[in-house]
Amino acid sequence: MTTEYDAIIIGAGIIGTPIAYELSKKGYKTLSVDKRPDAGEGSTAGSCAIVRAHYSTEDGVAFAYEGFKYWLDWENYLDHVEDEKGLAKYMNTGSILIKSKGHKWQNVKKHYDAVGVTYEEWNNDQILEHVPVLDLHEFWPPKRPEDATFFDESDKMIEGALFCPEGGYMNDPALSAHNIMRAAEAKGATFMFNAEVVAIRSSDGKVQGITLADGSEIDAQVVVNCAGPHSYKINQMAEGVWEGCNIKTKALRHEVMYCPSPEGYDYYNDGYHQSDGDIACYYRPEVGNMFLIGSEDPECDPQEWVDPDDFYAGRGGHGRDNQLTTEQWKAQCYRLGRRIPSLQVPNQPKGVVDLYDCSDDWIPVYDKSDLGGFYMAIGTSGNQYKNAPVVGAMMAELIDVCEKGLDHDKEPHQFTMKYTGRKLDVGFYSRKREINYDSSFSVNG
Amino acid sequence: MKIYVCVKHVPDSAATITVKEKTDIEEAITFLMNPYDEHAITEAYRLKDVLPASEVIAVCVSKPDGEGTLRSALAMGADRGILVTTDRRLDPIMTARALKAAISQDGQPGLILTGKESIDGEGMQTMFRLANLLSIPAATNVISIDPQNGDVVVRCEKEGGAQEKLKLKRPCLLAAGKGLNTPRYPTFPDIVKARRKEVVQIDLKQLDLPEPDSRVDLLHLAPVIEERTPKEITGSPASIAQQIVRILKEEARVL
Repeated sequence: MTTEYDAIIIGAGIIGTPIAYELSKKGYKTLSVDKRPDAGEGSTAGSCAIVRAHYSTEDGVAFAYEGFKYWLDWENYLDHVEDEKGLAKYMNTGSILIKSKGHKWQNVKKHYDAVGVTYEEWNNDQILEHVPVLDLHEFWPPKRPEDATFFDESDKMIEGALFCPEGGYMNDPALSAHNIMRAAEAKGATFMFNAEVVAIRSSDGKVQGITLADGSEIDAQVVVNCAGPHSYKINQMAEGVWEGCNIKTKALRHEVMYCPSPEGYDYYNDGYHQSDGDIACYYRPEVGNMFLIGSEDPECDPQEWVDPDDFYAGRGGHGRDNQLTTEQWKAQCYRLGRRIPSLQVPNQPKGVVDLYDCSDDWIPVYDKSDLGGFYMAIGTSGNQYKNAPVVGAMMAELIDVCEKGLDHDKEPHQFTMKYTGRKLDVGFYSRKREINYDSSFSVNG
Repeated sequence: MKIYVCVKHVPDSAATITVKEKTDIEEAITFLMNPYDEHAITEAYRLKDVLPASEVIAVCVSKPDGEGTLRSALAMGADRGILVTTDRRLDPIMTARALKAAISQDGQPGLILTGKESIDGEGMQTMFRLANLLSIPAATNVISIDPQNGDVVVRCEKEGGAQEKLKLKRPCLLAAGKGLNTPRYPTFPDIVKARRKEVVQIDLKQLDLPEPDSRVDLLHLAPVIEERTPKEITGSPASIAQQIVRILKEEARVL
């Protein structure tokens, strides 16, 4: 086996695979390594894979909207590659953003107009025409069921919604990463699984390659950290990289619930993706006519920052390991139960527990590092799945121009988005930035 | 008529069970209502329409945190609850005695519903012992209940899918099987209502139960070690088919 490549990508999830794909298209001989047995089997598999355009900044909206074009044209993006597992499918349900105090929807609307996002403004009657099971009372602020006022009645109503018809979700996030892997392989990329990185080798301020747990050494002039929740551990292995980041990443535990749709309501076929800041939940249809219910991390909920290795090994203990908790099951399902009074909540929790790779300001780090040739696409904070194909194109371009001599720290690279035609200052995602207080500091991005 | 439904507070079947000190399990996991008891409570709620002026009372014998399961029963339709608390591990003889005492203290049962077994103990004897203590007839793995005057006609599922139709004189005890109904899980309005329903707590010691001459003691628990990594089945098509049939029969036990 060849042990020298142009670029090694650590992580074959939804961020790592598009970078391998785009670098391969640029002629780089790439190797992707992942400790899991196949592409997308890490935290990508636990993603809700929601594709929506509402973000707190105009650039965030533009970036996400650019991503829509990739998902809507998936086969073309993959250059019509065949995958023996089949292709993941974009479920174009449309996306409803409830106007609430939980989202700065006025800003979102402004950004939609500036970027040219297709959307409709709905009043409450229009919402109910589309989603008849909802109770549109305002329940703000989000609370926990342990708090007696959680059960208080409300006499106020929410103020309508913004509806974005192009939104939706990918039906199988792990498969989508697998699809991109096959597309990358068709362009010459190599993938290696069950391969855990234990060291990043460097000399004279330049990365030399990686060492795997079995002792094998693989060399490359470029190494890219796309290790998801393990990103900070990989950064700590690379000389001066972790220390050189003003913005750090860490792993945040997160629970997502499956609750059956109310009887008589075909949520799977008739439902929409909804972001409902009023109850701090987002939800989308799932196979089996289920509601998949995520949390927007309201202040009243505990945040568990965990060691990813302990978490995945189930060693963290109650509320810190990879098992659902009754408390959070009730919090998320009861919150949605207020919005949907006919929703029946089973006694047994069902769902997914996984990790966000979260940055200090919940905005990702897409950047070079203080070690020559070492790059990172990390801190995706539970909200970058939808942007992944764009991240692939942007990171490949950034790596290419930096390797050809650009000092990105001094003169930040300007990335032109293929579909919207907008220019994006990649310096926005710099590791050296100060914490961005315009961020939502949540999964909303 | 009073319909008593016995519910048990059990570990979630999806939880990772860790055994500590041979006979205990790590309890920082989800505990919930025994799934068979969900069918019993759902049926009791349905019977309220058939048997006018009836009241559904959920009864649970457990550690104090069993109140969670009792609240679930109230949200699923029980009118009120009785929680007999103890930190002791009770065997089926003592559990049946505790249930009998709590029910008799409360009222005259017209019907008692339980699950056909608990998913933790799997002893399948508490309901028969309870029926015996009350000198009433019992039927298990019940999949339909039809009250007729002073009787109840039930269908029960037997081994291999066979069924039998039985008539029992009320009061009687019926142990619910999975085929009885689809559990009616609570909506948010049900949960709000359940918060106002009454739960009476009784310390087991207050029931002053006679200790039996003999009992079952738990000596050692051994957890199932689950293989979570997929295995590849290889060989000729005929051999692969044989292996799959063996797995479905012996491991999954669905054939």
